[in-house]
Amino acid sequence: MTEQTTTPDTIGAADAPKWSRYKYPESLYKHGTLLLILLFLGYSLHFLNVDIGLLIGALGRFAGVVSDRYYPPDLEYVLDWGYLASILDTLQMSFLGGFAGVCLAIPLAWFSAWNVSPNRRVLFPLGRLGVISCRAIHETIWTILFVSVLGFGMLAGVSALTMFCIGFAGKLFADEIEAIDMGPVEAMRAAGASSFQVFLFAVVPQVRVAFTGIAIYTWDVAFRAATVVGFFGGGGMGWYLKRNVQQLENLRVAAIILSIIVMVLIAEFLSGWLRAAVNRAK
Amino acid sequence: MTAIDVSPAALAQQGDLRRKRFLKMGLIWALVLVFIGWCVQGTIIEDTDWSRIGGRNGILASVGRYFSLDLGLLPELVIPTLETFMMACVGTVLGCFFSLPVAWLGAANVTPSKAILYPVGRFLMVLSRSVHEIVWALIFVSAVGLGALPGILAIAMRSVGFISKITAEAIENIDAKPVEAIRAVGGNQFQVMYYGILPQIYPVVLATVIFEWDINIRRSAVMGLVGAGGLGLLFFRQMNSFNYSGVSMVIVAILLLILLGEVISHYLRKAVI
Repeated sequence: MTEQTTTPDTIGAADAPKWSRYKYPESLYKHGTLLLILLFLGYSLHFLNVDIGLLIGALGRFAGVVSDRYYPPDLEYVLDWGYLASILDTLQMSFLGGFAGVCLAIPLAWFSAWNVSPNRRVLFPLGRLGVISCRAIHETIWTILFVSVLGFGMLAGVSALTMFCIGFAGKLFADEIEAIDMGPVEAMRAAGASSFQVFLFAVVPQVRVAFTGIAIYTWDVAFRAATVVGFFGGGGMGWYLKRNVQQLENLRVAAIILSIIVMVLIAEFLSGWLRAAVNRAK
Repeated sequence: MTAIDVSPAALAQQGDLRRKRFLKMGLIWALVLVFIGWCVQGTIIEDTDWSRIGGRNGILASVGRYFSLDLGLLPELVIPTLETFMMACVGTVLGCFFSLPVAWLGAANVTPSKAILYPVGRFLMVLSRSVHEIVWALIFVSAVGLGALPGILAIAMRSVGFISKITAEAIENIDAKPVEAIRAVGGNQFQVMYYGILPQIYPVVLATVIFEWDINIRRSAVMGLVGAGGLGLLFFRQMNSFNYSGVSMVIVAILLLILLGEVISHYLRKAVI
């Protein structure tokens, strides 16, 4: 780039000073913020005791570890019947958790959408709080909590996935409801409909297709989460992962991770195809 | 508005269509319900140890243990909370660095080789998103040892997929004219990117990064469960020593931290867009 002293913006302005790359307050704020962020990051690395040399060489080490210890994956192990059954368990868990989560998320989303919320004083904050707290706590923490209450097994996993899906789908649903066309809602309100009737006949027809798409996507995400809830006692593939990690059976761990990747890819492909089909059928 | 055809033939056809659609929806719902019944049978009824749960009182008793706060844990909470926050920040920034080349490879209009490197970029995006953060953390703990570093790397690897996917889509949707103008005046590949592409995708990418940072705080709060420090480690210790009120204290700390993150990201996004 060549040196430039004027830009088209400043040609018309007679009283404008000579063009400068830096403008007094804006540039100061911008670069100051950048500097502060960099300082904070540097201090964080220091505070967290991160070895910079290790950080720079981390990807190389990662490749080294993978090729030394995790290769070749023990594929026979993942083709065993016990493991294949656990894949089926994982699928069932994700499906149930996703379904229950979506069913519970719909009323919560209705409460927490500002434009059609049935009661803005009480139900709106309650719905918001429900969705936010389900979202805020990670699915693994939900799993640990449910395992401590319900014991090991898939019931705990399904409950944890349900909470996770409420948080995930609830927010997307509420966003979707808040973006609807308010015309039908106002018309129904003017005709004296109750807020439930408004929801059923003015909101649902507008968001039906979007909700179906979101529900399918929720299942996809729930499946990803379901692959690890077993790690903390929730049943499914994660349980095999934990056992082999603790026994340092690295080749089996590699095979399990590979199988997770393959299953997630299949789930993603399936959900993409289903969502396209739903969009076509609307 | 178009005129509505109300001749008997058209009405009959409409009714037919409606009946067909009703049947189809009914079939889909019936299939879904049968599938759910099968899942409930397999996972909940057969797999659960009902005697271990011990009825309603047993559940109420075990839930009730969590309804108290161990305020004595307060001084121990400060440093792990800071660690969690910093791990999320550093991990997000590192994730941005990793996702730059991936987005470059995976955007159809700027990729250096469409036959080989484009699929590689796409595959890296999918790989990063399909492996759960806990699994990434396990791999990195075995590669670089315990501490905050594996947590940072796991968060970074997990963020790459989302950030680079949105970035690649933004690159594919840019206005091609500035790029051509810079090429026409003799700009090289780097100048095309820096002056032609970057200013166009900048707001989208920044908003995505802020969104991802918000999610990464949640993720970094559980990194400790597999040995990567932060609040997760404290949670794990309290859980293993059966200090249930301490567990709820840690959860409250996580909630507050995430609420803070949500507020900050809300204002940051407003400032950016």
